Amino acid sequence: MNMAPNFKDADGFYEQLLDAHAGLDERASALLNAKLILVMANQIGDPALLTACIAAAKAAD
Amino acid sequence: MTAPAYQDPAYTNGYEFTGGAGYALPTYPFKTPPELAGVSPEKPYDVVIVGGGITGLTLACSLAQLGVSAVLLDEDNTVGVKGASSRGICYTQRSLEIFDKLGIYDRIKAKGVEWHVGRTFAGNDEIYNFNLRDRDDFKWSQQPAFINIQQFYIEGYLVERIAALGHIDLRWQSRVTGCAQGADQVTLDVETPEGAYTLQARHVIDATGSNTPFHKWCAVPMTSIKRDDRWCIADVRFKEQPPTERHTWIEAPFNDNRAVWQHLMADDVWRIDYQMAPDADPAYVSREDVLRERLRRQFGTDADCDIVWVGPYSYRSQLLDHLIVGRVFFMGDTAKVVSPFGARGGNTGIADADNLAWKLAAVVKRHAPDGLLQSFNDERHEAATVNVAVTARTTRYLRPADGVERLFRDATIRLAKHYPFARALVNTGRMAEANPYTRSPICSYQSPQVGKSVQNVAINWVDGSPAQLNDLLRWTADHLLLLWFGPTNQATLQKLKQLTELAPVRVVQVLDRSQPAQARETVRDSHGHLAAACGHPGWVLLRPDSYMSASGTRLDAGFLKQLSTAMALS
Repeated sequence: MNMAPNFKDADGFYEQLLDAHAGLDERASALLNAKLILVMANQIGDPALLTACIAAAKAAD
Repeated sequence: MTAPAYQDPAYTNGYEFTGGAGYALPTYPFKTPPELAGVSPEKPYDVVIVGGGITGLTLACSLAQLGVSAVLLDEDNTVGVKGASSRGICYTQRSLEIFDKLGIYDRIKAKGVEWHVGRTFAGNDEIYNFNLRDRDDFKWSQQPAFINIQQFYIEGYLVERIAALGHIDLRWQSRVTGCAQGADQVTLDVETPEGAYTLQARHVIDATGSNTPFHKWCAVPMTSIKRDDRWCIADVRFKEQPPTERHTWIEAPFNDNRAVWQHLMADDVWRIDYQMAPDADPAYVSREDVLRERLRRQFGTDADCDIVWVGPYSYRSQLLDHLIVGRVFFMGDTAKVVSPFGARGGNTGIADADNLAWKLAAVVKRHAPDGLLQSFNDERHEAATVNVAVTARTTRYLRPADGVERLFRDATIRLAKHYPFARALVNTGRMAEANPYTRSPICSYQSPQVGKSVQNVAINWVDGSPAQLNDLLRWTADHLLLLWFGPTNQATLQKLKQLTELAPVRVVQVLDRSQPAQARETVRDSHGHLAAACGHPGWVLLRPDSYMSASGTRLDAGFLKQLSTAMALS
C-alpha cells in the first residue's frame, strides 16, 4: 500500500476530476464517482490492495 | 395436536398436467407400520429420515443403493406441495451426476430441458450473455451443465426407484410430533391416520424443510436474517414458446423497473418470477387478473397462456451453527436456508444427502467408526457457509438498499453496457457448484484436487466398451476407490491386493488404450479424461461421493495413514 505520493501530476488530476463533475447535479455527480471508483478498482485488481484502499479511506476522518 | 386428516388416496403413478388447475400429483398409500400392527422392532432403527422432499428422498435412495435399511417418514401422501407448486426447477451438473449414480438420470434427461444460454437485461438493453458450453469446468462430465425440470418429477422418480431397490420403509401420512434424545438413541412420536406410535432410531435425519420443528426440539443455535425482498412466482404455459434460454432482467420496464426471471421447465411450462415492492400485498400480486396484466405487459396482448401455478414468495437467510445435534442430523433446508438465486437450495441439499449417505452406510455396516459422521458437519457446514454468503451477495445486488447501494448498482449497469470488466460485478446469481472442502479432517491435502469432486468422466472397460466413473462408484458402494494410474511392478500389485483385504477400499488400475492389464480390476482411460480430471496423479483415493480424499505418486509410508484418515479410522 503506497501512501507516499505516486501522482506524476497531482494538480492536473485534481483539476480533471473537478472538471468532470462541473455542471452535474448531486445525483449525477454521485453516479460519476461510483463509476469512477469501479473503473479504478478494476485497474488495481488485487484483492488485498483493494481491501487496504477501503480501509485507508475509512480511517482518514 | 390432532391427527392429520387426509382422504384415503388411490395409488396413482402419473403426473398429469391439468391446464389452469396445475398438476395432479401422484399419491402414495398409507400402510400400517409394524408399531401399530403390534410387532414393534426389538432394536432401534439404524436410520430414520424425516421428510420426503428432494433431500430426504435422495438420501433414502442412496442408502437403498448401498443396501442400508432405513425408515422415511413423510407427513403428506404425495411429492411436491399440495397445490402443485413446482418449487425447485434448476439442477446442476453435480446433482445430475448424483441422480445418474442413483439410476434416475435418464428419466430426468428425457423429461427435462437442457439449457446453456443465459441473457441479462437492464431496461431495454442486453447487458451480457453467457453460454455454458464455453465453460471448461463442465466439459469432462457425462452430464450437461444444467437441466431444468419441476422438482416433484425428480421426487417422484426417486420414490419409484426406492421402491424398486428395496431396503427403505416409506411411511406416508406419518407426522413426527415429538423428539427426545437419549445417549444411544432418539425417540420420535409419530401421528398417522390409524393412530400414534413411538419409534427409536440410532440416527435421525431431519429433512423436513425450512419450517422444521426439530430446530426447537433440539434447541439448535443458528443465525437467521429475514429479508424484505418480495416476489411473485408464476408458472405458465404459452401457446407459442419463448426461446430456450434463461433471461433475467435486473430492471424490467414491464415490471416497474424491478427484477424479472424467465426460465423454462418440462411440459413447456415457464417459470416467471416477478420482483415486487417490499410492501406489496401478497394476495393482490398473486391474483389471476393482476398476473395476467403483468404477463400482457411482458409478452404482449396476444400472448396466450395457461396459468399453472401462481404464488407470492419471500425468503430468509439462515445457517445453523452445527449440523449435528446429538444423534440428529440436519440437511437441506433444515441446515441452511438461502435465497433462490443461483440454485443453491435444492442442489446443495442433494449434495448434503450424497455426503451423508456413504458415511452412514460405512458406520452402520461397521466399516468405519462413528467418528466418520462428524465429517458431515465439517464438510457440509463449510459448504453451507459459502452458499449462504454467496447468495447473500446476490440478494444485496438484486434488492439494494435505497441510497448508496442502489447508486453503485446503477453504476455497474451503466458500465457493464460499455465495458466487459463491469459485467463481473453484475450479480444475478452465481450458479451452484460442487462445493470444495478446504479443511476436512478426512482429506489429506497434498494436491490441489484433494477435497474437490471429480466429474463423472467417460472411461472404457478393458474390452473397449463404454463406461463412466459412476459405474466404478456404484460398484465400490460404501468403500473407497483407489485408482492406480499406469503400469506398476509386482511388489506394488501385491501390496494393493493386500490393502483390499485390510481396509474398506477397492483398487482399480487405470490404463491407456494399449498398456497391458496387470491388476485384477482394470479400466481404460482411452482419452485421458480421468487422469486430467484427477490432476494427472500416480494414484488417487476417491470416496463414494466422488470427492478426492488423497492423491500421490508412490505407495510410500504416508499412504496407509491417508487411507485411515479418509475413513476416520485413526
